[in-house]
Amino acid sequence: MSASADLLELETAPPATTTNQQGPTGTNNPRRVWALVVLVAVVVSAYSLGIGRGDLVNQGGWSMVRNFFAGALSPELNPDFLRITWDATLTTLAYASLGTALSVFIGLVFGVVVSQTWWGVGRRDGYGRGLIKRAGWLTSRGALGLPRGVHEVVWGLFLVNVLGLDPLVGVLAIGIPFGAVTAKVFSELIDETPKHAYDGLRSSGVGRVKAFAYALAPQAFPDLLSYSFYRFECAIRAAAILGIIGAGGLGYQLSISFSSLRYNEMWTLIYALILVSGLADLWSTTLRRPDRSRFLVSNEQVPGLRRDRFLNLSMLAFGVLAAVSAWHLQLDPATLWSQRARTLLAGIRDASFPLNLTVEQLSTLGRLALQTLAMSIVAIAAASALAVATAFVAARSQGGGEDPGPVRRLGSLGARALLLFCRAVPPPVWALLLLFVLFSGPLPGALALGVYNYGILGRLMAEVVENLDPRPVYALRAQGTGGVKAFFYGVLPLSLPRFGGYALYRWEVTMREVVVVGLVAAGGLGRLLQEQLSSFNYPGVVATLLTLVGLTIFADLVGSSIRRAIG
Amino acid sequence: MRNPIRRIPALLCILALFLGACSGGDTDASDTEEGIDNSAEGISIGAIPDQAPEKLQRLYGAVSEYLTAELGVPVDYVPVTDYTAAVGLFKVGDLDMVWFGGLTGVQARLQVEGSQAILQRDIDENFHSVFIANTASGLTPVDDVEGLSALKGKRFTFGSESSTSGRLMPQYFLGQAGVRQADFQGEPGFSGSHDKTAELVQAGSFEAGVLNEQVWKARQDAGQVDDSKVIEIFRTPAYHDYHWIARPDLIERDGGEFVERVKEAFTNLDPADPDQKEILDLFGANGFIETENDNYAEIEQIGRELGLIS
Amino acid sequence: MKQPAGVQAEGRTPSASPQIELRGAGVRYGDFWALKDVSLSVSPGERVALVGPSGAGKSTLLSLMNGTAAPSEGSVELFGRDLGSLGPAELRRTQARIGTIHQQFDLVGPLRVIHNVNAGRLAGWSTLRAIRSLVLPLEVASTRQALTRVGLAGKLYERTDRLSGGERQRVALARVMVQDPAAILADEPISSLDPVRGEEVMGLLRDLSAELGRTLVTSLHVFEYALSHCDRVVGLRAGRILFDSPSAEVTPEMSRELYRIDPQ
Repeated sequence: MSASADLLELETAPPATTTNQQGPTGTNNPRRVWALVVLVAVVVSAYSLGIGRGDLVNQGGWSMVRNFFAGALSPELNPDFLRITWDATLTTLAYASLGTALSVFIGLVFGVVVSQTWWGVGRRDGYGRGLIKRAGWLTSRGALGLPRGVHEVVWGLFLVNVLGLDPLVGVLAIGIPFGAVTAKVFSELIDETPKHAYDGLRSSGVGRVKAFAYALAPQAFPDLLSYSFYRFECAIRAAAILGIIGAGGLGYQLSISFSSLRYNEMWTLIYALILVSGLADLWSTTLRRPDRSRFLVSNEQVPGLRRDRFLNLSMLAFGVLAAVSAWHLQLDPATLWSQRARTLLAGIRDASFPLNLTVEQLSTLGRLALQTLAMSIVAIAAASALAVATAFVAARSQGGGEDPGPVRRLGSLGARALLLFCRAVPPPVWALLLLFVLFSGPLPGALALGVYNYGILGRLMAEVVENLDPRPVYALRAQGTGGVKAFFYGVLPLSLPRFGGYALYRWEVTMREVVVVGLVAAGGLGRLLQEQLSSFNYPGVVATLLTLVGLTIFADLVGSSIRRAIG
Repeated sequence: MRNPIRRIPALLCILALFLGACSGGDTDASDTEEGIDNSAEGISIGAIPDQAPEKLQRLYGAVSEYLTAELGVPVDYVPVTDYTAAVGLFKVGDLDMVWFGGLTGVQARLQVEGSQAILQRDIDENFHSVFIANTASGLTPVDDVEGLSALKGKRFTFGSESSTSGRLMPQYFLGQAGVRQADFQGEPGFSGSHDKTAELVQAGSFEAGVLNEQVWKARQDAGQVDDSKVIEIFRTPAYHDYHWIARPDLIERDGGEFVERVKEAFTNLDPADPDQKEILDLFGANGFIETENDNYAEIEQIGRELGLIS
Repeated sequence: MKQPAGVQAEGRTPSASPQIELRGAGVRYGDFWALKDVSLSVSPGERVALVGPSGAGKSTLLSLMNGTAAPSEGSVELFGRDLGSLGPAELRRTQARIGTIHQQFDLVGPLRVIHNVNAGRLAGWSTLRAIRSLVLPLEVASTRQALTRVGLAGKLYERTDRLSGGERQRVALARVMVQDPAAILADEPISSLDPVRGEEVMGLLRDLSAELGRTLVTSLHVFEYALSHCDRVVGLRAGRILFDSPSAEVTPEMSRELYRIDPQ
């Protein structure tokens, strides 16, 4: 603190110098370092993908893009095609709801098993088994990393080779990776739940499972449920993407219509996708809105009766949806342990090893890993920049405050529609559209992911703005601060850290999603994977998948470091 | 504002029930045609999706109907979305017999030991690719393989990555002309299908492209080619391409008798019969002939050279 | 510090023209009257405590006084001007002369302390200047002075959400100091602090008001502080004024009546 004395003279001391002299309070340094790292990474990535090096845009393609958007006004409405669209919608919904159901089941079982609470990590332990417990927790936790690091589409491609053309492929392809993510989130939610009741039961000799059921489950339940509905919303997008690789449904029809360039049909399907994912978004947002059923006059909550009914109805509706879906897809779980599945699995296992990688293959992997990294960075940088700008328009209010005027409401509606459109269209379709006007290569793939993530991030960020603590801004307004200034001193600084958090979260997800655009030849490890799959080069596939998982872990580590620094 | 939102779950409930009620209707009304032994095990056929899906649907719908009548067992056509999926499903046994291209056929046989190439069209013995160009590109017809070097610096698209006539053989001939992938402007595109290649070049998205001759002719006949916008600039030398491949269990079925009946059914296709003529026309052929694995050794070799077969 | 914008009053003697004047003001949310028929007049330099049970309408009354809530009936006058008759720009200029402190929640956590303090000057800054200061902080010296006054001299560049509750409350005080308003409104300024920190903050508020002659209106849930730190106590119950009396004349009966629990 003594160093601050000589700063008194500096009327406008630059913050950088000041921080350095702040000694123990200089907590801003890591943020600056990370900001620099991120900036450099974005510039280098963009350059490596060819931005700023000429010859990116295929001028001849604009007419195709115009034709595509012209189709928006005249979607195909003949009864036969509407019937196809209807069936496809059902199939997509069915995969999404069953995939969600499976992932919630996996999440519940494994979420408990990998929680710190279950292993008793980090708590007082009278009998010195702390090390064993910790090892158990870490192992179980790490075991979830693998299924999580592999994208749904890759699961789908793998499972088709084991189960053949079976609807179970779609359900498992969503359920397994989502289950692993759900388990991780559930375990964190469980660990955040107050433990007094649980400890009380355990200390009186009650077993772990029973103690969980009586003491933790009831407390954690609402959070678990609301997260499950968020997963459902994601599952619809995943089901659409899976369709493109052949699982059926809207994505499948979309790719078929695209391959004969029937834009009118595409738009019918896109409108169906927008409708379905829009409804799912609305449902899950409504369930998760923190002020739902809160009476704003006083700070007291009205007793939660209405909320419970909405929750119960939602659960019931979901149950019915899942049951109808299972029947619609005519699921037969026996396929899982059929003789054929076992033989094929064994065949793949035998064909995959030994890996025997040559130096050349390793250098290709390394180069494409870097390309994948660059694609994900460019995608998220572009998506975040646009999303930040859109979020403030899309938000219906800032921190639940004053009533927005009609202009503002109209702007918000328009921005929301744009965001919904961007995330409802699967990234491979965006990539194919971009390939009309950009030359093949990693850039159209990266930008396709950018557009898709813009849709997702924009919505998440708008939610942040809506749920901001209104009090700081209210206080600024109360002392007569104008709108723009209140925005820069209140709204913006409050939202930016959380925007950053979301951007990082989507970056980690995007690292996995790069595979998806690779499947339509839009660069990165996904394209390599596609080539390896089509030449049945299983050792190569395994090596590529390991590289992808490695990248995902890398992204997780970097992401959490940055989060700590800005947190 | 609040009330309508609260009703969403209830609406979804009703919607779900309604959907269930609607979609149940059409599941059990199939396979009741006369003369078909439904107790005999049916077969599933497939094809690589090299053309516009609705064409494939029409063609293989007709084929499976014809085969069902000829063989007396149910024959189902299973559509797939990409070349790899066709090979994959053949491998796991979901497809008993598949119409493959040259390269995918080799890949499939390498995956399924004992599977055999059994039939091809008359035109497949002497198959060709054609290079086409948008008239605005300034490209003009060339006389020999070496002439393809004119494509350097142009915007160029292949068809599917695993296509024989849309990628493998063209890339091979381009190589002979000294044109490498990096010589095009930007990176070469992969349109995904022959039809799409034709449309993209005609629309000017790409200055030039390559597709299989049969699709090109079919488009010309159907009046889908605008001569003022797109022209043929080169026809490649001949090579073996498309063929039917059967899984070993199909080949051994009924002591080999079953596959003979399949071969007969195809070789007997008669242009005089209007229904059968339609099938031949859709295949762009005058008839089917038998073939064998050895016909595709050259393709396998080129595939290995280009790293598409490992 | 520059000259305060409000009327300069000496000592504790209320001057003739009131600074804050409510006439029959009421605020209604739906069917519920949060405040009903409140008439109150505060003169420059007065220190007024608002007391009463939770939900009595203390916060609503304060938000009427700083113009963030409009009365459903009756009128509110600040510095002799009816708020209902002012345009937005004029309203903002008037609001700039009133400083409000909430329970430390009016600070922006991710911003550094200096920016949160400078936020008190925003009304007088152009937008450009305001944004520039986020990059290169302005008014460092006077901000440091204000922070020193509240005992936070070393925390100028600290991130605000890294501070303790008591420290944050004092940052809020520093913000009001640089805003330099004619009147300070405080909404439960010490409710989230322990008794020692609470005493400190109340002392700072009282000294600020006394030394610079600023009006202070504060809601308090601790009755004793109302008596020891303010010279006038207004008791609110169920949206109405129950009593309005000099601190010295408040009796235990008045307090009991104020917090009485109604049989249901």
